[in-house]
Amino acid sequence: MDPTLPQTSLAFDRLTRGYGRLMVVREASGAVAAGQVLLITGTNGSGKSTLLRCLAGLMAPQAGTIACTVAGRRLDVAARRRAIGYVAPDLGLYPELTCIENLTFFGRLRGLPPARGAALLDRLGLPPKRLAGALSSGMLQRLRWAWALLHRPPILLLDEPLQNLDAPGRRDVLELFEQHLERGLAVVASPDSLELPRVASRLELGR
Amino acid sequence: MSRPVSSWVAETLAILLKEWRGELRTRYALNTVALFAVTTLVVVSINLGPLGVSRAALPVLPVVLWLILLFAASAGLPRSFVHEEEIHTAAALRLAATPSALYCGKMLYNLSLIYLLELLVAPLYLMLLELAVAEPVTFVAALAAGGFGLAAGSTLIAAMVAQARIKATLFAVLAFPVLLPLLVFAVQLTLGAVAGDPKNGLVELLILYDGTLLVAGLMLFPVIWNP
Repeated sequence: MDPTLPQTSLAFDRLTRGYGRLMVVREASGAVAAGQVLLITGTNGSGKSTLLRCLAGLMAPQAGTIACTVAGRRLDVAARRRAIGYVAPDLGLYPELTCIENLTFFGRLRGLPPARGAALLDRLGLPPKRLAGALSSGMLQRLRWAWALLHRPPILLLDEPLQNLDAPGRRDVLELFEQHLERGLAVVASPDSLELPRVASRLELGR
Repeated sequence: MSRPVSSWVAETLAILLKEWRGELRTRYALNTVALFAVTTLVVVSINLGPLGVSRAALPVLPVVLWLILLFAASAGLPRSFVHEEEIHTAAALRLAATPSALYCGKMLYNLSLIYLLELLVAPLYLMLLELAVAEPVTFVAALAAGGFGLAAGSTLIAAMVAQARIKATLFAVLAFPVLLPLLVFAVQLTLGAVAGDPKNGLVELLILYDGTLLVAGLMLFPVIWNP
Protein backbone atom coordinates (compact mmCIF):
# COMPACT_ATOMS: atom_id res chain seq x y z
CA MET A 1 0.00 0.00 0.00
CA ASP A 2 1.29 3.47 -0.96
CA PRO A 3 2.18 5.29 2.33
CA THR A 4 1.41 8.69 0.73
CA LEU A 5 -2.25 7.70 0.20
CA PRO A 6 -4.90 8.18 2.91
CA GLN A 7 -5.71 5.26 5.22
CA THR A 8 -8.88 4.15 3.49
CA SER A 9 -10.14 0.61 3.16
CA LEU A 10 -13.31 -1.34 2.59
CA ALA A 11 -13.37 -5.00 3.56
CA PHE A 12 -16.22 -7.47 3.64
CA ASP A 13 -16.17 -10.96 5.03
CA ARG A 14 -18.52 -13.89 4.30
CA LEU A 15 -21.26 -11.51 3.15
CA THR A 16 -24.58 -13.25 2.46
CA ARG A 17 -27.78 -11.80 1.09
CA GLY A 18 -30.86 -13.24 -0.56
CA TYR A 19 -34.42 -12.41 -1.55
CA GLY A 20 -36.84 -14.70 0.25
CA ARG A 21 -35.62 -18.25 -0.29
CA LEU A 22 -33.34 -17.27 -3.15
CA MET A 23 -29.76 -16.77 -1.94
CA VAL A 24 -28.05 -14.35 -4.31
CA VAL A 25 -24.77 -13.54 -2.57
CA ARG A 26 -23.18 -16.41 -0.63
CA GLU A 27 -20.30 -15.77 1.75
CA ALA A 28 -18.54 -13.25 -0.47
CA SER A 29 -15.29 -11.83 0.89
CA GLY A 30 -12.96 -9.17 -0.43
CA ALA A 31 -11.07 -6.01 0.41
CA VAL A 32 -9.83 -2.88 -1.29
CA ALA A 33 -7.51 -0.08 -0.16
CA ALA A 34 -6.87 3.52 -1.24
CA GLY A 35 -5.85 3.93 -4.89
CA GLN A 36 -7.01 0.40 -5.82
CA VAL A 37 -9.87 -1.18 -7.71
CA LEU A 38 -11.59 -4.42 -6.69
CA LEU A 39 -13.40 -5.86 -9.69
CA ILE A 40 -16.48 -7.99 -9.09
CA THR A 41 -17.38 -10.29 -11.95
CA GLY A 42 -20.02 -12.92 -12.54
CA THR A 43 -22.90 -13.83 -14.80
CA ASN A 44 -26.27 -12.07 -14.82
CA GLY A 45 -28.06 -12.69 -11.53
CA SER A 46 -24.88 -13.70 -9.72
CA GLY A 47 -25.42 -10.94 -7.14
CA LYS A 48 -23.00 -8.18 -8.24
CA SER A 49 -25.52 -5.35 -7.81
CA THR A 50 -26.84 -6.85 -4.58
CA LEU A 51 -23.32 -6.99 -3.16
CA LEU A 52 -22.69 -3.36 -4.13
CA ARG A 53 -25.99 -2.29 -2.55
CA CYS A 54 -24.98 -4.07 0.66
CA LEU A 55 -21.60 -2.33 0.63
CA ALA A 56 -23.32 1.03 0.06
CA GLY A 57 -25.57 0.48 3.08
CA LEU A 58 -28.68 0.46 0.90
CA MET A 59 -29.41 -3.14 1.80
CA ALA A 60 -28.65 -5.02 4.99
CA PRO A 61 -26.68 -8.26 4.59
CA GLN A 62 -28.22 -11.34 6.22
CA ALA A 63 -24.82 -12.53 7.39
CA GLY A 64 -21.21 -11.40 7.30
CA THR A 65 -19.42 -8.20 8.19
CA ILE A 66 -18.43 -4.98 6.42
CA ALA A 67 -15.54 -2.93 7.78
CA CYS A 68 -15.04 0.55 6.38
CA THR A 69 -12.14 2.76 7.42
CA VAL A 70 -11.65 6.32 6.21
CA ALA A 71 -8.64 8.43 7.29
CA GLY A 72 -7.87 5.76 9.88
CA ARG A 73 -11.32 5.95 11.47
CA ARG A 74 -13.78 3.07 11.44
CA LEU A 75 -17.19 4.17 10.11
CA ASP A 76 -20.57 2.85 11.19
CA VAL A 77 -23.21 2.12 8.53
CA ALA A 78 -24.75 5.63 8.67
CA ALA A 79 -21.37 7.31 8.22
CA ARG A 80 -20.45 4.81 5.48
CA ARG A 81 -23.59 5.73 3.52
CA ARG A 82 -22.64 9.41 3.56
CA ALA A 83 -18.98 8.74 2.78
CA ILE A 84 -19.29 6.61 -0.33
CA GLY A 85 -19.90 7.58 -3.94
CA TYR A 86 -22.23 5.29 -5.91
CA VAL A 87 -22.88 4.97 -9.63
CA ALA A 88 -25.63 2.50 -10.58
CA PRO A 89 -28.27 2.10 -13.30
CA ASP A 90 -31.10 2.29 -10.74
CA LEU A 91 -29.83 5.53 -9.19
CA GLY A 92 -32.28 8.25 -10.15
CA LEU A 93 -31.91 12.02 -10.05
CA TYR A 94 -34.78 14.51 -10.00
CA PRO A 95 -36.21 14.86 -13.53
CA GLU A 96 -38.06 18.06 -12.63
CA LEU A 97 -34.79 19.77 -11.57
CA THR A 98 -31.99 20.94 -13.84
CA CYS A 99 -28.54 19.32 -13.73
CA ILE A 100 -27.11 22.16 -11.62
CA GLU A 101 -30.15 22.21 -9.32
CA ASN A 102 -29.73 18.47 -8.72
CA LEU A 103 -26.06 18.85 -7.80
CA THR A 104 -26.66 22.01 -5.75
CA PHE A 105 -29.38 20.23 -3.78
CA PHE A 106 -27.20 17.22 -2.97
CA GLY A 107 -24.25 19.57 -2.31
CA ARG A 108 -26.36 21.45 0.25
CA LEU A 109 -27.23 18.17 1.95
CA ARG A 110 -23.50 17.51 2.28
CA GLY A 111 -22.56 21.09 3.17
CA LEU A 112 -20.57 21.67 -0.05
CA PRO A 113 -20.02 24.95 -1.93
CA PRO A 114 -22.30 25.33 -5.02
CA ALA A 115 -19.30 25.98 -7.29
CA ARG A 116 -18.21 22.37 -7.05
CA GLY A 117 -21.26 21.08 -8.90
CA ALA A 118 -20.84 23.65 -11.67
CA ALA A 119 -17.18 22.67 -12.12
CA LEU A 120 -18.07 18.96 -12.38
CA LEU A 121 -20.82 19.61 -14.94
CA ASP A 122 -18.38 21.65 -17.02
CA ARG A 123 -15.77 18.91 -16.76
CA LEU A 124 -18.23 16.23 -17.90
CA GLY A 125 -19.73 18.37 -20.67
CA LEU A 126 -23.24 18.59 -19.21
CA PRO A 127 -25.60 21.55 -19.80
CA PRO A 128 -26.21 22.98 -16.29
CA LYS A 129 -29.65 24.39 -17.01
CA ARG A 130 -31.17 21.40 -18.79
CA LEU A 131 -33.77 19.42 -16.84
CA ALA A 132 -32.43 16.02 -15.79
CA GLY A 133 -35.63 14.52 -17.23
CA ALA A 134 -34.67 15.87 -20.65
CA LEU A 135 -31.20 14.28 -20.70
CA SER A 136 -30.30 11.39 -22.98
CA SER A 137 -29.38 8.10 -21.25
CA GLY A 138 -25.67 8.78 -21.83
CA MET A 139 -25.88 12.29 -20.40
CA LEU A 140 -27.84 10.97 -17.43
CA GLN A 141 -25.01 8.50 -16.80
CA ARG A 142 -22.54 11.42 -16.81
CA LEU A 143 -24.77 13.22 -14.31
CA ARG A 144 -24.71 10.10 -12.10
CA TRP A 145 -20.89 10.28 -12.17
CA ALA A 146 -20.99 13.98 -11.27
CA TRP A 147 -23.37 13.16 -8.40
CA ALA A 148 -21.13 10.33 -7.16
CA LEU A 149 -17.92 12.39 -7.19
CA LEU A 150 -19.48 15.64 -5.93
CA HIS A 151 -18.33 15.18 -2.33
CA ARG A 152 -14.93 13.72 -3.33
CA PRO A 153 -15.73 10.37 -1.71
CA PRO A 154 -12.98 8.19 -0.25
CA ILE A 155 -14.78 5.07 -1.54
CA LEU A 156 -16.56 4.64 -4.86
CA LEU A 157 -18.93 1.80 -5.76
CA LEU A 158 -19.54 1.32 -9.47
CA ASP A 159 -22.33 -0.80 -10.91
CA GLU A 160 -22.15 -0.85 -14.73
CA PRO A 161 -20.53 2.60 -14.61
CA LEU A 162 -19.88 3.01 -18.33
CA GLN A 163 -23.29 1.96 -19.65
CA ASN A 164 -24.82 4.21 -22.32
CA LEU A 165 -21.66 6.34 -22.53
CA ASP A 166 -20.30 7.16 -25.98
CA ALA A 167 -16.53 7.28 -26.69
CA PRO A 168 -16.04 10.93 -25.56
CA GLY A 169 -18.20 10.24 -22.52
CA ARG A 170 -16.08 7.23 -21.54
CA ARG A 171 -12.91 9.26 -22.04
CA ASP A 172 -14.14 12.19 -19.88
CA VAL A 173 -15.40 9.90 -17.14
CA LEU A 174 -12.27 7.72 -17.06
CA GLU A 175 -9.98 10.77 -16.95
CA LEU A 176 -11.89 12.11 -13.97
CA PHE A 177 -11.91 8.65 -12.40
CA GLU A 178 -8.12 8.30 -12.71
CA GLN A 179 -7.61 11.70 -11.06
CA HIS A 180 -9.67 10.57 -8.09
CA LEU A 181 -7.82 7.24 -7.97
CA GLU A 182 -4.52 9.10 -7.72
CA ARG A 183 -5.70 11.07 -4.70
CA GLY A 184 -6.52 7.79 -2.94
CA LEU A 185 -9.97 6.63 -3.97
CA ALA A 186 -10.83 3.01 -3.12
CA VAL A 187 -13.10 1.43 -5.75
CA VAL A 188 -15.34 -1.63 -5.95
CA ALA A 189 -16.65 -2.05 -9.50
CA SER A 190 -18.83 -4.51 -11.41
CA PRO A 191 -18.54 -5.94 -14.95
CA ASP A 192 -18.65 -3.34 -17.66
CA SER A 193 -15.70 -1.72 -15.90
CA LEU A 194 -13.21 -4.22 -17.30
CA GLU A 195 -11.32 -1.34 -18.86
CA LEU A 196 -10.80 0.39 -15.50
CA PRO A 197 -7.18 1.04 -14.44
CA ARG A 198 -5.41 -0.13 -11.26
CA VAL A 199 -7.39 -3.32 -10.80
CA ALA A 200 -5.70 -4.82 -7.73
CA SER A 201 -7.93 -7.85 -7.26
CA ARG A 202 -10.95 -9.65 -8.66
CA LEU A 203 -13.84 -11.44 -7.05
CA GLU A 204 -16.00 -13.77 -9.11
CA LEU A 205 -19.49 -14.32 -7.78
CA GLY A 206 -21.82 -17.23 -8.40
CA ARG A 207 -19.17 -19.93 -8.59
CA MET B 1 -21.14 10.72 13.00
CA SER B 2 -22.88 13.74 14.60
CA ARG B 3 -23.34 16.89 12.54
CA PRO B 4 -23.52 20.50 13.73
CA VAL B 5 -27.01 21.94 14.24
CA SER B 6 -26.43 24.59 11.54
CA SER B 7 -25.74 21.96 8.86
CA TRP B 8 -28.77 19.95 10.02
CA VAL B 9 -30.95 23.06 9.63
CA ALA B 10 -29.37 23.78 6.22
CA GLU B 11 -30.14 20.18 5.16
CA THR B 12 -33.76 20.48 6.33
CA LEU B 13 -34.23 23.76 4.46
CA ALA B 14 -32.57 22.34 1.33
CA ILE B 15 -35.11 19.48 1.32
CA LEU B 16 -38.03 21.87 1.89
CA LEU B 17 -36.80 24.11 -0.94
CA LYS B 18 -36.30 21.15 -3.28
CA GLU B 19 -39.80 19.85 -2.57
CA TRP B 20 -41.40 23.20 -3.37
CA ARG B 21 -39.25 23.75 -6.47
CA GLY B 22 -40.33 20.35 -7.82
CA GLU B 23 -43.95 20.90 -6.81
CA LEU B 24 -44.19 24.31 -8.46
CA ARG B 25 -42.91 22.75 -11.70
CA THR B 26 -45.20 19.72 -11.70
CA ARG B 27 -48.11 21.05 -9.55
CA TYR B 28 -49.13 17.45 -8.85
CA ALA B 29 -49.91 17.67 -5.12
CA LEU B 30 -51.28 21.23 -5.31
CA ASN B 31 -53.73 20.33 -8.07
CA THR B 32 -54.77 17.01 -6.53
CA VAL B 33 -55.32 18.38 -3.04
CA ALA B 34 -57.07 21.62 -4.13
CA LEU B 35 -59.30 19.91 -6.68
CA PHE B 36 -60.37 17.22 -4.24
CA ALA B 37 -61.05 19.70 -1.42
CA VAL B 38 -63.03 22.20 -3.49
CA THR B 39 -65.10 19.54 -5.27
CA THR B 40 -66.02 17.82 -2.00
CA LEU B 41 -66.81 21.12 -0.33
CA VAL B 42 -69.15 22.18 -3.12
CA VAL B 43 -70.93 18.80 -3.05
CA VAL B 44 -71.34 19.06 0.74
CA SER B 45 -72.59 22.65 0.56
CA ILE B 46 -75.16 21.76 -2.09
CA ASN B 47 -76.54 18.86 -0.08
CA LEU B 48 -76.16 19.98 3.53
CA GLY B 49 -75.60 23.73 3.52
CA PRO B 50 -77.44 26.89 2.50
CA LEU B 51 -77.17 25.99 -1.18
CA GLY B 52 -79.27 22.91 -0.49
CA VAL B 53 -82.61 22.33 1.16
CA SER B 54 -81.66 21.19 4.65
CA ARG B 55 -80.16 23.26 7.48
CA ALA B 56 -80.75 20.52 10.02
CA ALA B 57 -77.27 19.12 9.57
CA LEU B 58 -75.41 22.17 10.95
CA PRO B 59 -73.87 20.38 13.97
CA VAL B 60 -72.34 17.84 11.60
CA LEU B 61 -70.58 20.43 9.46
CA PRO B 62 -67.32 20.73 11.50
CA VAL B 63 -66.96 16.95 11.15
CA VAL B 64 -67.32 17.36 7.39
CA LEU B 65 -64.56 20.02 7.37
CA TRP B 66 -62.07 17.63 8.94
CA LEU B 67 -63.11 14.75 6.70
CA ILE B 68 -62.48 16.96 3.67
CA LEU B 69 -59.07 17.99 5.05
CA LEU B 70 -58.17 14.37 5.90
CA PHE B 71 -59.08 12.95 2.49
CA ALA B 72 -57.50 15.86 0.60
CA ALA B 73 -54.33 15.34 2.64
CA SER B 74 -54.45 11.56 1.97
CA ALA B 75 -54.64 12.29 -1.75
CA GLY B 76 -51.58 14.54 -1.83
CA LEU B 77 -49.26 14.04 1.14
CA PRO B 78 -48.11 10.42 0.59
CA ARG B 79 -46.55 11.61 -2.67
CA SER B 80 -43.65 13.19 -0.77
CA PHE B 81 -42.06 9.76 -0.34
CA VAL B 82 -43.89 7.71 -2.98
CA HIS B 83 -42.49 10.01 -5.67
CA GLU B 84 -38.92 9.35 -4.44
CA GLU B 85 -39.43 5.61 -4.90
CA GLU B 86 -41.16 6.00 -8.27
CA ILE B 87 -38.33 8.05 -9.81
CA HIS B 88 -35.63 6.01 -8.01
CA THR B 89 -34.17 8.98 -6.12
CA ALA B 90 -34.62 7.29 -2.73
CA ALA B 91 -31.17 5.66 -2.94
CA ALA B 92 -29.47 9.00 -3.64
CA LEU B 93 -31.33 10.55 -0.70
CA ARG B 94 -30.46 7.64 1.60
CA LEU B 95 -26.78 8.13 0.77
CA ALA B 96 -26.72 11.92 1.09
CA ALA B 97 -29.29 13.06 3.66
CA THR B 98 -29.42 12.79 7.45
CA PRO B 99 -32.66 10.85 8.14
CA SER B 100 -33.96 13.26 10.81
CA ALA B 101 -33.33 16.28 8.54
CA LEU B 102 -35.07 14.47 5.69
CA TYR B 103 -38.10 13.73 7.87
CA CYS B 104 -38.28 17.33 9.08
CA GLY B 105 -37.81 18.77 5.57
CA LYS B 106 -40.58 16.56 4.16
CA MET B 107 -42.78 17.23 7.18
CA LEU B 108 -42.36 21.01 6.78
CA TYR B 109 -43.26 20.70 3.10
CA ASN B 110 -46.40 18.69 3.95
CA LEU B 111 -47.22 21.18 6.71
CA SER B 112 -46.97 24.14 4.32
CA LEU B 113 -49.14 22.24 1.84
CA ILE B 114 -51.80 21.55 4.52
CA TYR B 115 -51.76 25.16 5.72
CA LEU B 116 -52.22 26.32 2.12
CA LEU B 117 -55.09 23.85 1.78
CA GLU B 118 -56.66 25.17 4.99
CA LEU B 119 -56.25 28.76 3.77
CA LEU B 120 -58.21 27.77 0.67
CA VAL B 121 -60.79 25.49 2.28
CA ALA B 122 -61.64 27.25 5.56
CA PRO B 123 -62.91 30.57 4.07
CA LEU B 124 -64.76 28.68 1.32
CA TYR B 125 -66.28 26.37 3.92
CA LEU B 126 -67.49 29.24 6.10
CA MET B 127 -68.79 31.15 3.08
CA LEU B 128 -70.57 28.29 1.26
CA LEU B 129 -72.15 26.92 4.42
CA GLU B 130 -72.84 30.37 5.89
CA LEU B 131 -71.39 29.15 9.13
CA ALA B 132 -70.78 31.70 11.91
CA VAL B 133 -67.79 30.94 14.15
CA ALA B 134 -68.36 32.12 17.71
CA GLU B 135 -64.70 31.79 18.70
CA PRO B 136 -62.47 32.49 15.67
CA VAL B 137 -59.19 32.22 17.63
CA THR B 138 -60.08 28.71 18.79
CA PHE B 139 -61.16 27.84 15.24
CA VAL B 140 -57.76 28.95 13.89
CA ALA B 141 -55.98 27.09 16.71
CA ALA B 142 -57.88 23.90 15.79
CA LEU B 143 -56.87 24.26 12.15
CA ALA B 144 -53.23 25.02 13.01
CA ALA B 145 -52.76 22.24 15.56
CA GLY B 146 -54.86 19.72 13.60
CA GLY B 147 -52.94 20.55 10.41
CA PHE B 148 -49.61 20.04 12.18
CA GLY B 149 -50.67 16.61 13.40
CA LEU B 150 -51.95 15.64 9.94
CA ALA B 151 -48.60 16.66 8.41
CA ALA B 152 -46.43 14.92 11.04
CA GLY B 153 -48.48 11.71 10.96
CA SER B 154 -48.91 11.60 7.17
CA THR B 155 -45.18 12.13 6.57
CA LEU B 156 -44.26 9.18 8.75
CA ILE B 157 -46.93 6.93 7.24
CA ALA B 158 -45.94 8.00 3.72
CA ALA B 159 -42.37 6.87 4.44
CA MET B 160 -43.74 3.50 5.62
CA VAL B 161 -45.94 2.86 2.57
CA ALA B 162 -43.59 4.24 -0.09
CA GLN B 163 -41.86 0.91 -0.64
CA ALA B 164 -45.07 -1.17 -0.60
CA ARG B 165 -47.01 -2.25 -3.69
CA ILE B 166 -50.48 -1.29 -2.44
CA LYS B 167 -49.58 2.20 -1.30
CA ALA B 168 -53.04 3.84 -1.16
CA THR B 169 -54.67 0.95 0.75
CA LEU B 170 -51.79 0.68 3.17
CA PHE B 171 -51.81 4.43 3.76
CA ALA B 172 -55.51 4.30 4.73
CA VAL B 173 -54.96 1.29 7.01
CA LEU B 174 -51.96 2.81 8.80
CA ALA B 175 -53.42 6.32 8.97
CA PHE B 176 -56.56 5.15 10.75
CA PRO B 177 -55.07 4.40 14.21
CA VAL B 178 -52.47 7.18 14.02
CA LEU B 179 -54.74 10.01 12.90
CA LEU B 180 -58.01 8.94 14.59
CA PRO B 181 -57.27 10.52 18.03
CA LEU B 182 -56.02 13.68 16.30
CA LEU B 183 -59.21 13.98 14.26
CA VAL B 184 -61.42 13.37 17.29
CA PHE B 185 -59.68 16.20 19.20
CA ALA B 186 -59.68 18.53 16.18
CA VAL B 187 -63.38 17.94 15.44
CA GLN B 188 -64.37 18.51 19.09
CA LEU B 189 -62.33 21.72 19.21
CA THR B 190 -63.82 22.98 15.94
CA LEU B 191 -67.35 22.14 17.15
CA GLY B 192 -66.66 24.07 20.34
CA ALA B 193 -65.26 27.04 18.38
CA VAL B 194 -68.35 27.14 16.13
CA ALA B 195 -70.78 26.78 19.04
CA GLY B 196 -68.83 29.20 21.27
CA ASP B 197 -68.30 26.54 23.91
CA PRO B 198 -64.88 24.92 23.51
CA LYS B 199 -64.03 22.25 26.06
CA ASN B 200 -61.16 23.09 28.42
CA GLY B 201 -57.80 21.52 27.67
CA LEU B 202 -58.57 20.41 24.09
CA VAL B 203 -56.01 22.77 22.52
CA GLU B 204 -53.36 21.53 24.93
CA LEU B 205 -54.34 17.91 24.21
CA LEU B 206 -54.07 18.51 20.48
CA ILE B 207 -50.65 20.17 20.86
CA LEU B 208 -49.51 17.28 23.05
CA TYR B 209 -50.61 14.77 20.42
CA ASP B 210 -48.79 16.82 17.75
CA GLY B 211 -45.63 16.74 19.86
CA THR B 212 -45.98 12.99 20.34
CA LEU B 213 -46.35 12.44 16.58
CA LEU B 214 -43.32 14.65 15.85
CA VAL B 215 -41.09 12.91 18.40
CA ALA B 216 -42.32 9.47 17.27
CA GLY B 217 -41.58 10.48 13.67
CA LEU B 218 -38.06 11.65 14.49
CA MET B 219 -37.35 8.44 16.43
CA LEU B 220 -38.97 5.96 14.04
CA PHE B 221 -38.09 7.51 10.70
CA PRO B 222 -34.40 6.42 10.56
CA VAL B 223 -35.51 2.82 11.24
CA ILE B 224 -38.24 2.95 8.57
CA TRP B 225 -36.14 4.79 5.99
CA ASN B 226 -32.91 2.81 6.14
CA PRO B 227 -32.62 -0.94 5.66
